[in-house]
Amino acid sequence: MPKVARLHAILWGVFSMGGFIAAFLLPVLIYLVGIAYPLGLWPVTNEDPTSAILNHHHIGTLFLFVTVAGSLYHGIFRFQSTLTEVGLARAKRALEAIGYLIIILGILATAIYLLQYNPSFFSLP
Amino acid sequence: MIREWTSFFVAVFSLIYIYELSLFASGAKDSALALMRNPGIIAFNVLALLFTLYHASTWFYLIGKVQPIKLGKTTSKPWQALLLNIVLLLIISYAVIQIFIVR
Repeated sequence: MPKVARLHAILWGVFSMGGFIAAFLLPVLIYLVGIAYPLGLWPVTNEDPTSAILNHHHIGTLFLFVTVAGSLYHGIFRFQSTLTEVGLARAKRALEAIGYLIIILGILATAIYLLQYNPSFFSLP
Repeated sequence: MIREWTSFFVAVFSLIYIYELSLFASGAKDSALALMRNPGIIAFNVLALLFTLYHASTWFYLIGKVQPIKLGKTTSKPWQALLLNIVLLLIISYAVIQIFIVR
């Protein structure tokens, strides 16, 4: 298999994994942090959900990283390829470059912010 | 085509949440929480949840279509994959709430 085709297959494979993450984990995160907390709905009480999740140290930090990074990859990857299908085919290269830049910076930023919040993440529990 | 456009909401919610995490990490927790209480953000989140659930349903149906499972002489139908994965989604969501919020 040519190198480019192999890379393409890997990128679509990661996209597919991100699809599973966005499908199974993102809805509950959106509900907890974006709807239940600000509107005071079940099951959120006084503590905000992000702090509650991050207080579960390793597993909470890992949950947020996997959910946000996987969803970001899936969302941006699909959205930039959709734009090329609706008449922006000429700008395909530029859209891909911008898309991958957002994905890389977004995933790095997520990792850095989570490590800043939980600096002892890599130490044993 | 609607399915493809729902990815926009998946991506934008992720970016907003990364920004919220940055506020948490820099110690500006109150600003992060005020952002999530903004009516515009809440309205966007409601839309994002609806579109994400639609996105998930079409994804589950697609899995059943692309990779049907053979059990003896019968082959699974896409709606069966959809149903099974929706049940899985509910179990996982409940587990996340139990582990991180209720306990």
